[in-house]
Amino acid sequence: MRDAFSAALIKVAQQDERVLLLTGDHGYALFDEIRRLLPDRYLNVGVAEQNMVGVAAGLAKAGLRPILYGLSAFVPIRVLEQIKLDICYEELPVVMIGDGAGFVYGALGASHHCTEDISALRAIPNVRILSPADAHEMTRAMELAFALERPVYLRIGKCDIGAVHKGPINYDWGELIEMRPGDGGLGFIATGSMVAAALKEALRWKGSSVWSAPSVKPLNTDQVITICRSHRAVITLEEHSFYGGLGAAVAEISSTYTPCWIGRIGVQDRFAQYAGSYEYLRSEHGLDAAGISRQVDEFVERIGNASLRLSKSSRPGVLVPETK
Amino acid sequence: MTAKPHRKFDPMTLRRTVIEMAYAGSTAHIAPAFSIIEILAVLYRSHLNLGDGSPKSPGRDYLILSKGHGIMAQYACMHELGWLSSEDLGRYFSDGTVLKGLSDAHVPGVETTSGSMGHGLSVGVGLAWAAKRLGTKQRCFAIVGDGEMNEGPIWEAFLFAGHWGLSNLTVIIDNNGLQAMGRVEEVLRLGSIAEKLQAFGFETREVNGHDEGALDVALQQLDKLDSSRPRAIVAKTVKGYGVSFMHDNNIWHYTRLTPDTYRAAVTELDGNKKNAASV
Repeated sequence: MRDAFSAALIKVAQQDERVLLLTGDHGYALFDEIRRLLPDRYLNVGVAEQNMVGVAAGLAKAGLRPILYGLSAFVPIRVLEQIKLDICYEELPVVMIGDGAGFVYGALGASHHCTEDISALRAIPNVRILSPADAHEMTRAMELAFALERPVYLRIGKCDIGAVHKGPINYDWGELIEMRPGDGGLGFIATGSMVAAALKEALRWKGSSVWSAPSVKPLNTDQVITICRSHRAVITLEEHSFYGGLGAAVAEISSTYTPCWIGRIGVQDRFAQYAGSYEYLRSEHGLDAAGISRQVDEFVERIGNASLRLSKSSRPGVLVPETK
Repeated sequence: MTAKPHRKFDPMTLRRTVIEMAYAGSTAHIAPAFSIIEILAVLYRSHLNLGDGSPKSPGRDYLILSKGHGIMAQYACMHELGWLSSEDLGRYFSDGTVLKGLSDAHVPGVETTSGSMGHGLSVGVGLAWAAKRLGTKQRCFAIVGDGEMNEGPIWEAFLFAGHWGLSNLTVIIDNNGLQAMGRVEEVLRLGSIAEKLQAFGFETREVNGHDEGALDVALQQLDKLDSSRPRAIVAKTVKGYGVSFMHDNNIWHYTRLTPDTYRAAVTELDGNKKNAASV
């Protein structure tokens, strides 16, 4: 996926001479190619992310097309206010890349883990969020991001776990990609690294559908409604806090338009306590195959019981405005 | 006696405009606007290339008010340029109007959104870098408060400007010695700002920030220098300058005008104008 990113980066930089890559002293080997081919399009601003965002805003205001690169723990999290005020408030055409999202930097600990970037940015107006699941989704994500000429955050999570698509994939803003058709009891909606996990878990559930959501914001409301209506319950999966991310976005749509049980699987509200590999951290947070199966089983059992308790007739439901 | 032609960007007239705005809107932040009046007057009158004269002129020089709390001073200048109408100023802070109490990039002619400190200078160095890259000859002037220099990104931006030799950037420090909660030297000691700027690679001048002639000369000298370094002026200023009971008095960072203080301020400013005219 990083190769796809690098290739797409070089392509847009070759096509558009306004494109400039800015990095806060990160991305070691990732930028070898652009530095070799287009050295004057590469700007290492130093370990100074706050200034980097302001500089990018200035470049964009002057007509250039900056791409900001950082680890997601820093871009967007460290520089959230700069993104809000300097880029989003003016809706400037800046593409922000947050690499290593989730637990990619496993053993490095809390400073490098990032499970809050989607929530943080979803609440900021004027910025869109892409979270590709594999190299094919990444290639399309870069096309979408550059064609837009508005703020975009592109989240790169664990990217060496193989492709989930067989070949190049086309999708539009907000679109959920059907990975596995089904009209059974469960629908799975996942993003980034968790799409592969959702496909695996879906094999345990007869007739379940699986959807990849590379565009977390915007998220196609009509499609989510259709998915909610096609299943008894929807499970969301993300390598991100279960607050405010993809699961929340799906639950917001469901609760507004078509109430449906939504099981949100993500990082519980806690930091990682111990060092360990990516795989260890996924499992420690219940996001490995066994942890996901356990959570889905618990959820299915809970809604089974809850459905019995909350039959329609037992709900109070006067929806008539007070008259004078 | 023939009337003298109206002197554009007359500081006492600009202060009078600020007082009218602040009174109309019942707003704070009079003193931080007063300390940069002469700086803005000299820049707008003699140094900023305004292109075709409209706020959206593509080739104009950039003016960054990084210390956004002084925005009323800039509004007063933009009023003289015809970019803002008297109605805009008279309705300051009314519901549904455009002008906010801190610099806001949605207002044509205002480059950045500030008020949260330490943002504008980084945008300014980005603009200056882009102007060099694109060969536009545009210059960028950035007004930074001394209190604002508490913020880390200001120093990141200084490093960047020095490293890239942004000779088209002029940073003007509004060195009024006061920040929101007290004296700069008591809150977070800055020491010599000029020495620090020199150490970061700036061509630096120190002037009285209320002496228009001195500001003008310093800006001209810096402009003419054959140097690949960014430029800086440390402007020694007085917060609240121009109205004696506001001088160096931090209460006027926060206080709103009453009918009494409004009349007193207007009387003093009008008196000063008359004195200046008769000299």
